[in-house]
Amino acid sequence: MQINTTLDDHRIAKLAAFAIALHMLEALIPSPLPGVKPGIANIVTLYVLYKYNFTSAAWVSILRVFASSLLLGQFLSPTFILSLAGALFSLGVLWLSMHLPRKYFGAVSLSMIAAFAHIAGQLMIVRLWLIPHASVAYLIPIFALAALFFGVVNGLITHQLLNNSSEKIDSASST
Amino acid sequence: MFKLLRNIKAITSAMLIGDWLIFVASSMLIIVLFQQLWSHEHATTVQIRLGDTVYGTYSLNQQRDIHVKGTIGNATISIMNGKARFAQSPCHNQYCVHQGWLSRSGQAAICLPNQLSLELVGETKHYDSLNY
Amino acid sequence: MRKGLSTVLTVAICCIAILGFIVYQKPPLYHSQSFVFGTLVDISIYGEPEERAKSLSNEILQDFQHLHHQLHAWKPVSENQVSELGALNLAFASQNKPLNISPLMIEVLQDATKLSKQSNGLFNPTIGHLIGTWGFQADEFAATSVDDKKISALVSANPSMDDIVVTNNSAYSTNSSVKLDLGGYAKGYALDRAVRYLRKQYVKHALINIGGNIIALGQHGDKPWRVGIQHPRKPSAIATLDLLDGWAIGTSGDYQRYFMLDGKRYCHIIDPRTGYPVQHTQAVTVLIPPQAPYHSQAGVLSDVASKPIFIEPAESKSKIATAMGINHFMVINQSSQVFVTKEMQNKLTWLDQDFKKHAYVQTTTQH
Repeated sequence: MQINTTLDDHRIAKLAAFAIALHMLEALIPSPLPGVKPGIANIVTLYVLYKYNFTSAAWVSILRVFASSLLLGQFLSPTFILSLAGALFSLGVLWLSMHLPRKYFGAVSLSMIAAFAHIAGQLMIVRLWLIPHASVAYLIPIFALAALFFGVVNGLITHQLLNNSSEKIDSASST
Repeated sequence: MFKLLRNIKAITSAMLIGDWLIFVASSMLIIVLFQQLWSHEHATTVQIRLGDTVYGTYSLNQQRDIHVKGTIGNATISIMNGKARFAQSPCHNQYCVHQGWLSRSGQAAICLPNQLSLELVGETKHYDSLNY
Repeated sequence: MRKGLSTVLTVAICCIAILGFIVYQKPPLYHSQSFVFGTLVDISIYGEPEERAKSLSNEILQDFQHLHHQLHAWKPVSENQVSELGALNLAFASQNKPLNISPLMIEVLQDATKLSKQSNGLFNPTIGHLIGTWGFQADEFAATSVDDKKISALVSANPSMDDIVVTNNSAYSTNSSVKLDLGGYAKGYALDRAVRYLRKQYVKHALINIGGNIIALGQHGDKPWRVGIQHPRKPSAIATLDLLDGWAIGTSGDYQRYFMLDGKRYCHIIDPRTGYPVQHTQAVTVLIPPQAPYHSQAGVLSDVASKPIFIEPAESKSKIATAMGINHFMVINQSSQVFVTKEMQNKLTWLDQDFKKHAYVQTTTQH
């Protein structure tokens, strides 16, 4: 049996590897509050969405979740489920908001929306599965605030990457 | 990244009108969320939940340790001087323990692995009307 | 510069918008408290615009005032006009020819007769003379010295609802000692009327409390109406329970109207068989499930049914509760022991830890 790989596959693999690296890096950064993370790997997802297409972005995002959890030894653990839920929900919302007029809504919009969707998906899992307790609601504003902040920052970075150094990630990952 | 943050001009040029719209709308939403979900009132009792059931509700006006067997092991919850905290937990990351003392109504500490949570309950009106 | 100004403007507009949103978000709960019926009437209406809620609650209060004029046992409507019940009592006393009465009064008399029978005469609204003798037919009452002879005379006169003959549009009594006092009925009757009125007005959510008797309509937003049950000796609630749509709750307590004499408590609940205030019980709470929406008597039952259970001694309480069709009830006796039926216990959330620990749950209401 032979697997035919296309150029697209290679590109996705490279970018996913980059996202995984960012994800791992982030896992090392201590967080003041459990669950509040910058989500810098999402920059790659957004970048791919803009540079290529939604399918590639989805591949990069999902591959990142699976590979990182395997590498961190969290595969099928609650952390992995949360990560996957966030990624899937975020992708779904991204797919919808992709169609917003580009003239008015830039990378920062998509980044914020994706960040909100990410925490929304995670909090839903927490509330429905891990802690079926109303007190989860108490955490929502904090997570939302963090999502807003990191959403904007990540969006700005993505914007910068797309405009100034459009080849940076591709070349960085291929070297 | 921080250089970028400092560069306000770059930020404003990067953000389109729709971006601002979403930013403002979500900021408003967050403010409302804080308003609605954070009540800063003094708490009188702590409710301990295990999974989807209430393990027990305890007055904060006492000094005692409560031992609860969670899904992965025994945890200790301390109550003292109107505050409550996870004193000891079998979980790996000890987030719940690091949360420290809870003192305000509505505050909560959650131990995900052990499916155990604390929530402080305040002197809100316990009922709509009194039967006498 | 322009940009900075517009940012400030945006922020300002947002602040105003948020403020407006918060004001708008205020839960649409209308709450009014007033004194009618010589007692506290507390009306909560949820989910109606404030103006409408206000006018609805005023309408209810007016109706209560009206009922009060018709049904009050001892307060005259004005200086030279007695209530309809007062006039009826005068006619009963003088054994005159039948007195014409209103359809409402006929309904009340027939219903009270039925309930009196059901309670083996323990719910007896004809002992107005006894209640008056004990001094409870007044807003303010002091310790009364006990006139044993007068009481035994009043008891042996044996007034009962059976003595009252109701015809098409009139009533008379075959026993001149009959003096109606609807103190244990009128509040419940008023509750039922209020709920019927609100249902007709398509109001979905309301909680009405007349002097402690409460009936629920719908719920409080996304959660049921929650009521607290008064501690008979402390200024706090002993427990709370969710009062679902159509349910009513009522308590008879020795702490509501009483006086102390020689260290003994004399409460307003009088055993019609002895003529003396009941002293073995502190409180009886009954919970009444919903009935047919437009013919609901849940309010009346919540008012009436607690009395016979209060009056009967401990060993007969369950039996009379069964006779009254009551499954949910709680008794607190003079030693502050709590007896609660299983059905009731399932509904209660205890606040008082002593009571919680020492509550005796009766597995069945039947003996």
